[in-house]
Amino acid sequence: MSAPREPLRRIVVAGGGQLGILAAIALRRALPSCEVVVVGGDPGPAAFADASPTAMPFTNKLHDRLGVEEAAIVTRAGGSYRLVTRYVGWDESGQDAVVAYGEALDPALKTAFARDWGRVRLPGEGAPPAGSLAEVLASAARFAPPPPGEPTPISAVDYALRWNPAAYRDLLIATAESLGIGYVAGVIDRIEPGEGDNLRAIGIAGQGEIAADLFIDCTGPQAALLASHPRFAFTDWSATLPTRHVYIGEPTAPVIALEDRLTLTRAGWVSEVAGLDGRRAMLGTPAPLPRAEAEALLGARALGAVALTPGRVEAPWIGNVVALGDASARFEPLGPLHLDLAHRQLALLVEMLPGRAITPLERDEYNRRSVLMMEGVHEILALHFASAPAQTVFGARPLPGRLVAVIDQFERRGRIPFREELPLLSQEQFALLVALGWTPGLPPAALAADAAGEARARAAFAAEAEAALAFAPPYDQWLARALQPRANPG
Amino acid sequence: MGDAPKPVRVVVLGGGTAGWMTAAGIAKLLPGIASVQLVESEEIGIVGVGEATLPHIRGFVEKLGIDEAAFMKATHATYKLGIDFRDFGRIGESYIHPFGSFGEEVQGVGFHHWWLELARHGMAREIGDYSLAVAAAKANRFRPPAQGDGLASTFGYAYQFDATLFGPFMRDFAREIGVERHEGRVVSVERDAQSGDVVALSLADGRRVVGDLFVDCSGFRSILLGQELGEAWEDWTHWLPCDRAAAMPCTHATPDLRPYTTATAMPAGWRWQIPLQHRMGNGYVFSSAHITEEQACDAIIAAAEGTPLADPRILKFRPGRRARSWSHNVIGVGLASGFLEPLESTSIYLAQMAITYLIELFPTGGTVDPRDRDEFNRLVDMEYVRVRDFLILHYHATTRDDSEFWNHVRMMQVPDSLAGKLELWRRAGRIEKYSDGLFYDASWIAVYVGQGMLPEAHDPRAAMIAPDALQRATERLRMAVAGEVATMPGHRDYLMREAARLAEAA
Repeated sequence: MSAPREPLRRIVVAGGGQLGILAAIALRRALPSCEVVVVGGDPGPAAFADASPTAMPFTNKLHDRLGVEEAAIVTRAGGSYRLVTRYVGWDESGQDAVVAYGEALDPALKTAFARDWGRVRLPGEGAPPAGSLAEVLASAARFAPPPPGEPTPISAVDYALRWNPAAYRDLLIATAESLGIGYVAGVIDRIEPGEGDNLRAIGIAGQGEIAADLFIDCTGPQAALLASHPRFAFTDWSATLPTRHVYIGEPTAPVIALEDRLTLTRAGWVSEVAGLDGRRAMLGTPAPLPRAEAEALLGARALGAVALTPGRVEAPWIGNVVALGDASARFEPLGPLHLDLAHRQLALLVEMLPGRAITPLERDEYNRRSVLMMEGVHEILALHFASAPAQTVFGARPLPGRLVAVIDQFERRGRIPFREELPLLSQEQFALLVALGWTPGLPPAALAADAAGEARARAAFAAEAEAALAFAPPYDQWLARALQPRANPG
Repeated sequence: MGDAPKPVRVVVLGGGTAGWMTAAGIAKLLPGIASVQLVESEEIGIVGVGEATLPHIRGFVEKLGIDEAAFMKATHATYKLGIDFRDFGRIGESYIHPFGSFGEEVQGVGFHHWWLELARHGMAREIGDYSLAVAAAKANRFRPPAQGDGLASTFGYAYQFDATLFGPFMRDFAREIGVERHEGRVVSVERDAQSGDVVALSLADGRRVVGDLFVDCSGFRSILLGQELGEAWEDWTHWLPCDRAAAMPCTHATPDLRPYTTATAMPAGWRWQIPLQHRMGNGYVFSSAHITEEQACDAIIAAAEGTPLADPRILKFRPGRRARSWSHNVIGVGLASGFLEPLESTSIYLAQMAITYLIELFPTGGTVDPRDRDEFNRLVDMEYVRVRDFLILHYHATTRDDSEFWNHVRMMQVPDSLAGKLELWRRAGRIEKYSDGLFYDASWIAVYVGQGMLPEAHDPRAAMIAPDALQRATERLRMAVAGEVATMPGHRDYLMREAARLAEAA
């Protein structure tokens, strides 16, 4: 007869940034009988997951499960919506392209779009037609989050949220406090080994020590707990990921937009995230730049720079220490992959929540999947640097994982081989490859398909786009209403 | 398409189920891209026996634009909600492996953890009572699943049909859409001296069938892939010792029609009962190292519930697969590329899977790109190994010690890929997750629990709720399942509702 495992009694989350606090909330909600204590403050700007002003659609689902309300993020943490990311300068032809979320296109429509994207365009002919409802809405600046539970013309549109990291963290702290999560400010100054591979306790400077059954390392790239473990090992990604310096721009004037941007410049890539509290830019380069040059590319004063050695830990869970986010993998903040990765790792940990005694095989299974997640991020990032224009800036590099086969299959067949635990769905990868300048081939069955099927799919999409535009209000007006103080309801 | 290259000449060797499925699939889905010829010989019988399928078959039939009712009529098909496994874990015990889930995840914790906690307090019903597919199957009721995400949508269905009729149905379909059939026996295979590629097949009457791409559907003889190209055979007999089947149809013994297949463990293997519209298919899958063919035939005659409609016939097979299913310009589909016994009705799925990947990776210009071949082999490899491990589980998760056969499978060392999964289940009640290939969590749970292989421990969160509250919640679910089943028509009644799906009385 199976018995329930003895539950964890105390979990210590090291690192009190937005990741660590959400991890504490998730664990406390999963195991209300277990004491959860957050130790230490925000790990700082080099912990990209903690500093991120945005995530991806997965985070919305996680928030829902954890009772972090989207409406609260909008009204109290400067929340706003991203429907698409525009890629500028990555395609040799000079054509911009946008990447949306989700996997809503029917195959005939995808084939029709593939034909448009694959066709040589004459100068002055303009961009190919929109490839998603999200793109149609973003270019018309119309959107409001679709009401849950009822079908609307925009219910299939997936989106990501942005926020002000400090305000979002405060929101999470309030939730954490209401759940009775403990907090110890201070600096971890020693690690007390326990039995076998386990940690027994951590010491906090001037405050004694705190013991726990499970330690979650959310301390950012220094991996304060995991890296001090004797069995810690690091897998270097330097050969495949070229960014060595990341410059962080000071937020500039507020921007209301449904799109963010990733631009390839002569010296490196620039990411721009729109926000109600300002536009945040980051610049990633292979070599250090003079400050003035970096600021010119950022379009903002540089707040600081981070030196980067990309890679991941070999095993993110050793003994009773589990590293999440930047403590498990370091890579360029080219898009909001850090927080997305960290949140998917967190969801995996909650799914596989161990008992007080951890069995080696559950650790192995967690590590297998967490490593797949990290290597999936690695592949998606490396894809960016495999585009021809990126190679002129960053140099040519070997491709990790299955990327050679993926690009080959895409170019010859418009096919995305399935890989487990990737950050992007197959259709998102498809759009990304197009945005980065690859031309999709056509699948054999599409070569044989009749044009009428594609024409029908196009017509259906045009009708859906029209309905979506008619349904969605102008985004700025909706936002203004959402942010009005609710002093006089009704 | 004006710029379309010359159609690739596909030659399918073998006119069994796999052969005609391949010919029909390629001709229908790649018109203008491929031309299809099929070589078969009436002298050579086909292996097809009463077959049960997996829900994937519906996608295949639909993709070809075939009307479900016409297809069911032609193959004497009934509906299938799962498989009833009897006597596998222990003699006298049974469980249904459904095309559906058990309960649902609550607060991020899988249903089976809650069920294990209830069981600890002696408050759990059989886990199948919390599965709509299982409950409907047991009640001999059927209705297609509903759309959306309510309880009525929590299952899928497949068919139980006569495979000796499925091949010919596919043949008629394929010939109508332009597949050219050659009657004749292959006497020699012509190959390109330089590349080693197959160029043409020479038939006994002197005809020569030339092609660019050859699909070997010649069954176990594997004339092209095995005999001609010498592709190595990986033998899995050690883990899956059954190598024969004694098959025999009989009449229906009861007016009821089970919407499920029955697999009953036997002293040297297991036997199937597959209800078709007008008869019951029976067969004893056995290990010839443990009993003789005569003993197997006697056993299947003795076990048949209805009146036998024919003498038992013996089918021989070998579990395993070719190291590569695609070599040079030859692709093996079906038995020519590998065989896994029909314990989980995977044969037609495996053929369909290979056809689907072949179409995705089809050499449209006529020349095979090694990268496509490697990708095909990688995918096929993954599918075979995942199915193999799941089949081995059915034998290994047992306490039976009543025969040499069961002693062997109980005590054998299983593949490492399976050993890790078993250990993770034993220690923590968790299932190794993957999203590609066949058989997800619910299937593994069905077999583990059904065969009495309960874990030592389950999720600590399941014990956080008072047992009686937990029981009330699961009772509500069980009542909802029972209520839904009560609204479903009987399987036979549902089937009879539309004359278009009924075969003429045999």
